[in-house]
Amino acid sequence: MNGLGGLATGFVAALLEAWQELRIHKLRVLLSLIGVTIAVTSLTTAVAGAGMAEQLMKEQLERQGRPAMIYAYANDPTNMGMPTATNETSAAFKKTAERFKVEHTSIVGRSPGVQATHQGLSVDADVQVVDPDYAPMHRIFAQRGRWLEEADANNLSPAVVVDKTVVRSLGLQNAKLPATVEVGTGGEKVSVTVIGATSTQDYGTMGQMWMLPETYEHWFAAAVPLGDVSYAMWVPTENADELASNFALQMRAELPGYQVNAQRVDYQAWGADESLDQMAMVVAAIAGVILLLGSLSLLNVAMVTMKQRIREVGIRRSFGATTGRVFFSVMMESVVATAVAGGVGVLLSVALVSNPTLINMVLYGGIDEMPGFPVGAALLGMGVSVAVGALTGVLPALVAARVRIVDAIRV
Amino acid sequence: MSGAQLLQLENVTRSVLLPDDSELHILNGIDLTVSEGDHIAIVGRSGTGKSTLLNILGLLDRPTSGTLSWRGKDASRLSARRAALARGRDLGFVFQQFNLLPGRTALENVMAPLMYASGRDFWQRRRLAAESLERVGLGARLDSMPQTLSGGEQQRVAIARALVRRPRVVLADEPTGALDVTTGRAVMELLDAATVESGAALITITHDANVAALAREQFRLEGGRLQPLMQEVAR
Repeated sequence: MNGLGGLATGFVAALLEAWQELRIHKLRVLLSLIGVTIAVTSLTTAVAGAGMAEQLMKEQLERQGRPAMIYAYANDPTNMGMPTATNETSAAFKKTAERFKVEHTSIVGRSPGVQATHQGLSVDADVQVVDPDYAPMHRIFAQRGRWLEEADANNLSPAVVVDKTVVRSLGLQNAKLPATVEVGTGGEKVSVTVIGATSTQDYGTMGQMWMLPETYEHWFAAAVPLGDVSYAMWVPTENADELASNFALQMRAELPGYQVNAQRVDYQAWGADESLDQMAMVVAAIAGVILLLGSLSLLNVAMVTMKQRIREVGIRRSFGATTGRVFFSVMMESVVATAVAGGVGVLLSVALVSNPTLINMVLYGGIDEMPGFPVGAALLGMGVSVAVGALTGVLPALVAARVRIVDAIRV
Repeated sequence: MSGAQLLQLENVTRSVLLPDDSELHILNGIDLTVSEGDHIAIVGRSGTGKSTLLNILGLLDRPTSGTLSWRGKDASRLSARRAALARGRDLGFVFQQFNLLPGRTALENVMAPLMYASGRDFWQRRRLAAESLERVGLGARLDSMPQTLSGGEQQRVAIARALVRRPRVVLADEPTGALDVTTGRAVMELLDAATVESGAALITITHDANVAALAREQFRLEGGRLQPLMQEVAR
């Protein structure tokens, strides 16, 4: 008990001594720790920023389909083998999906080349013909207004949802939704009602517009029949590939004469998640170099300072400080200092990374679900700063511990 | 009247190897016994090995040969750790240049040795240090920085620091060397009174005959040998 008590007292005393030393040499400590603070801020920000970038990349990749996303195509041999959608193919897909208990499905058809106009402004847009489930399946949110619902098929005016490019190009940023715009295709113009706007955008000049199949069929199909149609389904990732091939076989059985294919199209199927890991590794390597430079500058200052403190060490030894205690105290000075610097660095990083405006500006894109500051990054920053303190404290601590008392008190 | 024996040197020598591989003999056949309540002065010219002898007595250095006993046990076999613990617990040092820790107040300087204590002494270090400073007449200067104190006051802080852990032996190396005659005498009287009050032995190393005259036993160190000048004067 006495031994443990003595050990605890020694630990507390070493911490107090370290804190006293830092308090007395505020300016020197402050200057020597600037490098560590910057390094820890960089490291933590890089790790947390990589998390943000990963989230952004994930969001963008998931707009092509969240894992596991299977697209099924029914190719009509009489229509040059093009993927097609008829009442027959849609019924076969629905029946097969029910059989495999697939909860989220959507038709996906594309009709390129429409032009949307509003109060003299116009933009070329892609029309995607989709079911209401398409949005959760592709991580699409209506930032303003709302997404498509089944009841919209009965609307007297065609209901559409548009992306950020259409909103910006048609000057709808401040317009109240629903808003009416003109859509021209195949030489005809139709007034449509914009019921929602998403946060998504393509990086080209083309805008994007979504509507229900019934809406397209009623208002636009006569002018431009829908081509390039597929059926999407969102299923659990386990055994998704096996499900895709079984689904194709079953749907083919429902559609004699058709060529039916089904395959995974989400990013995990083509290994995009590996590039996320590589990006994190590159960022960590850069942060490591910054940290190494910060540590070297800290070590340099600590060694020079220790040479000037030899007499003080000698005096403390005359009070009864053991070699171990001198070693531990000097090392704790470094650890306490870098822990404080690390704390400041992590706080700076939190302030930077938790700022959505800054993050969206740096990452050039909008994150729909802003992730919280990763606790792992904060812990890593603190852990690394304490480790740097311990490592850079070892050399000066060794110098202090090896001081010959009789020489030191004469200095 | 002396109490229990604390330190004993028997035929102690100390020599060092010079860069040309020759040996320099600093101390030769030193015999000395220090008991509780003793006040011993060791005089000698500069370079005669006074500080080396004090370092050996203070467990800061080891003899080359001979025996150093600490409270009846061979101290030359003490591990560095045990020697440090014994130093902290039982020995107090007063240096010529005061050796106050820079950047710390008088109170923090006196608290410094208590940072290596345990139990009550550690947890009540502020109170104990303040009391020690009160005893040397610096109760009003607790928060003063060393550079704002006079030489005499700095040495009184050093004395308070040496006595704060209630040592059995106080070793003073030229304690008045950096002070004028009047201040030096006042400091020595204070040191003597404080050690008499606490029952500690006081060993003073000096080249000043007036300072040595305050001691009850006096020795001269010359040619590495210790010769008694005067034995046990009445208090």
